[in-house]
Amino acid sequence: MNLSKDGWSGLAVLAASLFLFALTLGLKDNPLVPIGPGYYPRIVLAVTAVFALALVVSDFLSEKSVRARESLNYLLVIEMFALFGVYVGALPYLGFRISTFLYVAASNALLDPPRSLKSAARVLLVAAITTVVVYYVFERYLTVLLPRGRWTNF
Amino acid sequence: MFELLGVGLLDMFQVKYLVPLFIGTLIGVVGGALPGITITMTVIVVLPFTFGLEPLQGLACMIGVYVGGETGGLITSCLLGIPGKPSAVATTFDGFPMSRNGEPGRALWLGIWASILGGLLGAVVLVAATGPLAQLALRFGPWEYFALFVLALSMVAGLVESSLVKGLLSGALGCVVTVLGNDPVMGQPRLALGISWLEGGIPFLPVLIGVFAFSQIMSELEKSTKNTEALSAALNLAVSHVKVLWEILSRPFLLLWSTFIGLVIGVLPAIGGSAANMLAYDQAKKFSSRPEKFGSGIPEGIIASEASNNANVAGSLVTIMAFGIPGDAVTAVMLGALTIHGIQSGPLFISQNPALAYGMFAAYILAHPLVLILLFLGVRWVLRIVIVPKSILFPVVLVLCVVGAYALGNSMATVYVLFVFGILGYLMVKLGFPLAPFILGVILGDQIEINLVRSLMTDSNLWLFVTRPISALLLAAAAASIVLSIWQHRRMQKKSAVAAGAADF
Repeated sequence: MNLSKDGWSGLAVLAASLFLFALTLGLKDNPLVPIGPGYYPRIVLAVTAVFALALVVSDFLSEKSVRARESLNYLLVIEMFALFGVYVGALPYLGFRISTFLYVAASNALLDPPRSLKSAARVLLVAAITTVVVYYVFERYLTVLLPRGRWTNF
Repeated sequence: MFELLGVGLLDMFQVKYLVPLFIGTLIGVVGGALPGITITMTVIVVLPFTFGLEPLQGLACMIGVYVGGETGGLITSCLLGIPGKPSAVATTFDGFPMSRNGEPGRALWLGIWASILGGLLGAVVLVAATGPLAQLALRFGPWEYFALFVLALSMVAGLVESSLVKGLLSGALGCVVTVLGNDPVMGQPRLALGISWLEGGIPFLPVLIGVFAFSQIMSELEKSTKNTEALSAALNLAVSHVKVLWEILSRPFLLLWSTFIGLVIGVLPAIGGSAANMLAYDQAKKFSSRPEKFGSGIPEGIIASEASNNANVAGSLVTIMAFGIPGDAVTAVMLGALTIHGIQSGPLFISQNPALAYGMFAAYILAHPLVLILLFLGVRWVLRIVIVPKSILFPVVLVLCVVGAYALGNSMATVYVLFVFGILGYLMVKLGFPLAPFILGVILGDQIEINLVRSLMTDSNLWLFVTRPISALLLAAAAASIVLSIWQHRRMQKKSAVAAGAADF
C-alpha cells in the first residue's frame, strides 16, 4: 500500500478510535437520565473515525512528491525526551530538589557539553541556582508543596 | 461602564496589582523578544507563579505578559531579522531591511508606537463590545452554546492552511481527550483504560502546557542552531519620537484597518496573532500605492504588522470574557487560571465579577504605557538578555512546566499527563497536524457534551438545533465555514497545479 506518513497516522487514529468506540458499547446507561455516558463519546469517536478514514483515502489517492529531507537533529530530541522521562520518573523517589538539580545539570550538559572545568562548574551552578530559586519561590512564597522523595525523604 | 472602568484603573494603580502587572509586562517583553520562546510559553512559565496570588493579581500579570510579549517580539524582528514570536514575522519583512538601511531606531520605534496605538484602539473595542456581546450570549440556551462551540471548532479547523481533513481530525482528537475518564454530567466512570490517573478525566492545562511547550522546545532543538547572533553594541537607536508618531498618524486608514484586522482575527477562536500580522501586512500591500516597495524597509509594513498583532490581544480577550471561548493559546491559559481560582468564564463573567472584569480591562490598558516606559529605559538590556543560551533556558522552562503541572493538583498524575501530551504534541507537529484545533477541542469538548446532553434532557427533539434561530444561524455558519475552506483548498490546489504545469514548460 502506497501511503505516506499522513496515511499511516490516519490509520493509527482510525484503529484507536474504533477500539475506543467498541469499548463504549460496554458502558451501562444510567436509569436516572435518558442519555448514557457512552452517547457523546460514540458521536465523537465515530466522527474521528470518519475524518481519519478521509485522511487515509485522500493520502492513498494523492500523488506523492519526493521532498528533500531536512537535516534535523532527532537524536538530541530523543535524548531530551528520555532525560525528561527519567526526571519525571525520579521525582516521586528522589524528591524535587535532588531530581531537579540532576535534570537541569544533565540537560544543560547534553545541550552544551562542558569542555573545561570552568564550563562544568557553570553547568552545576546553573542547576543549583535553578533548583534553589524555584524551590524557595514556590515552597516559601507561593505555598506550593513540591514533591518529597520516597527514598530520600528530602 | 466608564465608572466601573475608572474604578478598575484606580484599583490597578494599587501596588498589589501594579507590581504583578509590571513584572508580567517585563517578562512578556523579554519572552516575546527571545527567538524560539513564544508568548504562550512565557505565559505558561508565569502561570504557576500566579497560583498563590489573588485572581486579579494573577490575571494582571498574565495580561502584562501578553501585551509585553506582543511588543517585545518586534525588537529582534527589527534589529536582528529574527522574529521573536510568530506574530512578529511580518514585522521582519520591512523592519529588518530598514535597520540594515541604517535606521534601526526608526524601525524599532515605528513598531513600538504602532503596537501601542493598535493596542489602545483595540482597548476601546474591548471595553465597549465585551458587555453587549456577553448580554447577547445570555440569551443562549444549551442548543445555542452547542452550536457556538461547534462553530468555533469548525472555523479553527477550516482555517488550517495545510490540510482541512487534518484540521478537522485534530479538533476531533481534542474532543476524544475529553471523553476519557468520568462523564461530566453524571460523573459515571468511562474509558479510563485501567489507568488510575485517567479516571477523573484529563485536565486541560497540563495538556496545553505539554503540547505547546514540548512541541516548541523540541522543534527548536532539532534545528540545532544557536541564538547567539552577533549584536552590534554600537547600534544607534536614537530617533525623533514626534516624527515617528507622525509617520504613523499620517496613515490613519492603515492604522485603523490593521487594528480592525487584528481585532477580528483575535475575536475568532484560537487563530492568534500569527495570522493577524500576515493578513494585515498583505492587506497593507494590496491597498498601497507602492506595493513594490514592500519588503525593502518601508514604514507601512511595520505599522500594519505591529498594530494588528497588539489589537489581536484585545480581540482574544473579548472572546474569552464574553463567551468563555479562548481567542488563542494565551487566553486558553488564562481560562485555566480562572478555573483554578474557581471563577466560571462565559457570558455571566462580567455581571458576576464586575471588579475582576473591569480590572482586566484596566490591566490591558495600563500594560501599554508600562511597555513604553520599559522600552524607553531598557531596550538595550532586552537585546542582551536575548542572547541567553538555549542550553540554560530550555531546561529551566521545562522545570517550570513540571512545577506548573504539579501545582494544579499537588499530584504527579498531572505531570504524567504533561509528559504524555508533550510527546503527542511533538509528534503532531512532526506529522503536520495543527495544534490549535486540538487544543480548542480539549477545552471545548466537555462543554459541547454538557450542552448537548442538557439540550436533549430538556427536549429530546433534535430538530430544535435547526429550528431555534440563533442555533440554526450558528450551525449554518459552521457548515458554511467548512464549505468555504473546501473551496479555498481546492482553489489553492488548482493554483499550485497551474504553477507546477507552468514550471514544467
